[in-house]
Amino acid sequence: MITFLLRRLLNLLPTFLLATVLVFSIIQLAPGDFLTPAKLNPGISQQQLSNLAEQFGLNKPVWQQYFQWLWNLLHGNLGLSFSYTQPVLDVAWPRVLNSMKLVLVNLVLFYAISIPLGVYGAVRQYSLGDRISGVVFYFLLGFPSFFLALLTIFGILKFRQATGLNVPMIGMTSDGYDSLSLLGKFWDTLKHLLIPGLVAAVGGVAGFTRVLRGQMLEHLRSDFVRTARSKGVPEFWVIYRHTFRNAVIPFVAGIGGLLPGLIGGAGFVEVVFSYPGITPMLLDAIGAQDFYLVAAFSILPMVLLFLGNAISDILLAVVDPRIRFN
Amino acid sequence: MTALPTPNQPAPPRTTARAQTQLQVAWGQFRRNRLAATGGVFIILLYVLAIFAPFVAPDGLSNYSTTSITRYHKPTPLHVRDPKTGAWGLYVDKFAQTLNPTTFLQDFAPTGEKCPVRLFVPGDTYRILGIPGNLHLFGTGNPNCKIFLWGAEGLGRDLFTRTIYASQISLTIGVLSVLISTVIGMVMGSLAAYFRGWVDNVINRLVEVISAIPGLFLLILLRSLFPQEANPILVLFLLLCILAFISWGDLARTIRSQLLSVREQDYVTAANALGSSQGRIMFRHMLPSMTSYLIVTLSLAIPGTILLESGLSFLGIGAVEPYVSWGTLLNQTQDGGIASITDRPWMLIPGFFIVFTVMCYQLLGDGLRDAFDPRKRQ
Repeated sequence: MITFLLRRLLNLLPTFLLATVLVFSIIQLAPGDFLTPAKLNPGISQQQLSNLAEQFGLNKPVWQQYFQWLWNLLHGNLGLSFSYTQPVLDVAWPRVLNSMKLVLVNLVLFYAISIPLGVYGAVRQYSLGDRISGVVFYFLLGFPSFFLALLTIFGILKFRQATGLNVPMIGMTSDGYDSLSLLGKFWDTLKHLLIPGLVAAVGGVAGFTRVLRGQMLEHLRSDFVRTARSKGVPEFWVIYRHTFRNAVIPFVAGIGGLLPGLIGGAGFVEVVFSYPGITPMLLDAIGAQDFYLVAAFSILPMVLLFLGNAISDILLAVVDPRIRFN
Repeated sequence: MTALPTPNQPAPPRTTARAQTQLQVAWGQFRRNRLAATGGVFIILLYVLAIFAPFVAPDGLSNYSTTSITRYHKPTPLHVRDPKTGAWGLYVDKFAQTLNPTTFLQDFAPTGEKCPVRLFVPGDTYRILGIPGNLHLFGTGNPNCKIFLWGAEGLGRDLFTRTIYASQISLTIGVLSVLISTVIGMVMGSLAAYFRGWVDNVINRLVEVISAIPGLFLLILLRSLFPQEANPILVLFLLLCILAFISWGDLARTIRSQLLSVREQDYVTAANALGSSQGRIMFRHMLPSMTSYLIVTLSLAIPGTILLESGLSFLGIGAVEPYVSWGTLLNQTQDGGIASITDRPWMLIPGFFIVFTVMCYQLLGDGLRDAFDPRKRQ
């Protein structure tokens, strides 16, 4: 298993390197250079500028700059963020974690909604509930996530005005967050994450549910299900242990590749709910030409892609015992 | 009387059974799908509306008055009957701003003057497909007394006018970029399948790299290649290319895997033996085997790209002034803090156009997919 994961990692290495080349060349081609905004910043001294130019080899040819940048990158040195005058990693990493929290809540909600719906749709095919959920989520498929977020905010504000209840939605934490206990902090963040997470999750439910329903229907008609029923397995186990486990295999294999899309997709929701995630900061960084920060935000999610792929490989082995890693 | 056919009589059997091509079969299937056909009709209507936008809109795209400020003007209600005189006739109230002496805020109130709404009034000049004109479908004909059917936006420009104009951008960018990305995907996929070896390797790696960086970040990154204050037309063109660049990967992969098996078919070997050029084999012999697949993916990719374009414009990295898309219009809902959204809910209207368009395209795409799927024949 370990060797298998290592081999997968080795396979991903060229992709990673190519991606760094892509990101680096885009940044090189963009107007201005790494130090343009820094030179305009009175908070950065001439000494610091020349140190940076030295450290990142800005006086050398482009290809040498790339290798120096890559070398620094592999040593965890992502450069200095000029708008924050702090090392990029210190600025960017909390944002990446915040985005991951949102994506995690998003994923949990997504599966919590779509798996039961898909299973229900297959078990009670063409029932009223099946039809209604099909129509509702098909309709939601057409909503851009940011528009859905705007509508949700509109609805919540109206709800607040009507009832006076304080529904948390903007930002990630309430006022007085620091004085809360550890559990209180966790609960406070979760409360703020629920609505953005739900908004980001709902849009994609229709697609997943429909495919899962199709897969379930296919397996429900197969021989092993009939065998299970005839030997007296309870219907619940027939559905969840025998059918669902088979139907879900293709999705488990795809979880790893989902992550980059999810982080990007959650970006719109982050902007509307002013959630301190990657995307709002990335947009600011582009505006301020803070290129080291931009580069970091494009590279860091790729680490998550590796993680995601590893997780999906492990999960696949758990779900599908036919898979052996050797 | 016997010559008249009765309704119960079965239709006379067809004497000649003609072979149908695949497209004819699919078209027949598609026409039976009411929902999909409705989607298709509405899409055509939307495009007609977009073409005639300058005529339908009562105002010019970027018209606003610098003397009477109409910032976030409330929608002006259309009255059918004058309550005082009892006379019938469509009119709107003229609004004017007055300084409220107690709060020192600008208040908007009807002045009591009435502007009759007429059809085909002359107004702002425009060109439709190169033909100049100045007639508008409806309006008051009085520039100081505009109809704000859906209110006004941040600079006091008519939102209805801008929404109608925005359809021109929103409806074209998505479709064109899907066309471009399909062409790229087709070429890359066939190259990879036909040449295999290192070409296949390079193309596959490229697809992997593009899909490894989150799409939104790559879009933002690519947009930053060009200065913020570039020529607006150039920005639209770039937007098109960027959208196409990030989305050809999946198609290329599918085409590659399909064509790898097509490549081993006898007719490809035959074409090869007859001395066809490589380009001819790839694009005239191998690719046409995927026509139905391409039509379906194309129609299903368009709604996704329209959503993406609206998102980019919403973030402010899409269409720029003077051009507007529905996403740009929605951008202003958040101006002045999120809470202001309840003060001017009409700013959300353009979003429903996005939803409606995407829904229609989805229905159309699903209908086409079913029509081409032999297992779903009726």
